[in-house]
Amino acid sequence: MIRMRRVTKVYKGNIYALEDVTLDIERGEFVFLVGPSGSGKTTLIKLLIKEEEPTSGQIYIADTNINQLRKWKIPYLRRKIGCVFQDFKLLPHKTVFQNVAYAMEVTGKPRRLIEQQVPEVLKLVGLGHKLDAFPDELSGGEQQRVAIARAFINRPPILLADEPTGNVDPSLAEGIIRLLEKINSTGTTVIVATHDKEIVNTFRKRVIALENGRVIRDQDKGVYGYE
Amino acid sequence: MNRIKYFAAETWASLSKNLILAVAAMAVVAVSLSLLGLVVLGWNMFSNMIKNAERRVGEIDIYLSDLTTEQERQAIEDFLVSLPEVDPARVIYKTKDEALKEFKERFRDNPELWENLEDNPLPNSFKVTTKDPKDVGVVVGTVKTQAPFLNRIEDVRSASAAIEKLENIFDKFRQVGILGVLALVVVSVMLVSVTIQVAIFARRREIGIMKLVGATNWFIRWPFVLEGVFEGTVGSLVAILLVMAVKVWILDRLIESLHFLRMAITPGLLGLLIPSLLLGGLIIGALGSAYALGRYLEV
Repeated sequence: MIRMRRVTKVYKGNIYALEDVTLDIERGEFVFLVGPSGSGKTTLIKLLIKEEEPTSGQIYIADTNINQLRKWKIPYLRRKIGCVFQDFKLLPHKTVFQNVAYAMEVTGKPRRLIEQQVPEVLKLVGLGHKLDAFPDELSGGEQQRVAIARAFINRPPILLADEPTGNVDPSLAEGIIRLLEKINSTGTTVIVATHDKEIVNTFRKRVIALENGRVIRDQDKGVYGYE
Repeated sequence: MNRIKYFAAETWASLSKNLILAVAAMAVVAVSLSLLGLVVLGWNMFSNMIKNAERRVGEIDIYLSDLTTEQERQAIEDFLVSLPEVDPARVIYKTKDEALKEFKERFRDNPELWENLEDNPLPNSFKVTTKDPKDVGVVVGTVKTQAPFLNRIEDVRSASAAIEKLENIFDKFRQVGILGVLALVVVSVMLVSVTIQVAIFARRREIGIMKLVGATNWFIRWPFVLEGVFEGTVGSLVAILLVMAVKVWILDRLIESLHFLRMAITPGLLGLLIPSLLLGGLIIGALGSAYALGRYLEV
């Protein structure tokens, strides 16, 4: 599903965010991307949604080399990749329903479909009863569930989550990952960047560890591994 | 249909959020386009006046020196009659005495103008009328260069020379007017562009999220384009109303009360001007948003 070949990203000022990263992630996998802050996790995610361009190396998503993707095709790439962020990125003046519906409106889905599917997905993430609430009326955990619902509403083959539990109460963090696991079980490839040791050690998934922009470990059913 | 409703709603929300700026932009568009309309109407009125005046004026006065002998006078008259553009029946010789009499007659209510004259300052002259008024210039030129005893001809005058001078002056006015309108159009494009920049800035978070969930570039751009075009169009509608009002309440009355000037607005000009102003507003709006989008919206 995702192939990276010798990918290097150098930011201005000769800062190596990623160096010579090669990895394969298969369809339907659940992967933790771990490492301390500044290790390159966020850069890797930005490269996958083509928010940044690699300095060198090739990235393939579903056998398409995204380096060569025309600019106007980028939106269609992003429709195949749902994204969840630490800061949720919800629109404060829209309700829960409208926030999720937004992802469908933007891709031109008909109203009828939106009104049918949005409540379904919100029910899936456990917020079926809060359709008309505004983001600031929800807890961090609930807001992240809305963000996950929005990322998943168009059934993307890939879901990326960058520190999804970073702003969520630790007691609710596990629930968020369970939810991502549930989404993974529908066949969606899920990649979670995190430095939450407990989460990684609890779930025992494939772990790709980054340090100073390099892959230092790639392990099935792995643990966090940093002290 | 769904999409049009979505764009309209987004545009309206954005417009009402920075209403003051939007109103300012529309006002400047309105001012510049109404000025454009008035320059066009004014110019049209004036050039029609000139055309009508030229049609009337086919007369040329040729003033002779007092030293001219009867023989020389006769030669000049024969020359004038022989000109193909001149109506031979309307070559009239007027002596200086007749000229003075006419002058006194014309200004009999202002005797101070002629009472104290010691001798007659007015020259002998020919009044010549061309068959076709548009040949006045040709005849004036021919007389000035080819008439016999040129040294006896002191001056050749026609009303069209005066009109020409007037035309030159109004040409300058038109040039200044067009420059002013151009400057205002540039300012209105810039102001529309500023309102769009503000709108983009106010919605940068939303734009980021739109990109994230895979909105196409044009889907993101459309509401901003519509906003600019809306501002331009509303501005041009106001300008059209203003131009119509000035035409009906000022220009038409002016034409009527100064009817002897024979000013007129070409029929059908408004039918051309109104859609042009509308199109102008649309283009100003589109240019303004295009500039803002090109510079401030990276998609």
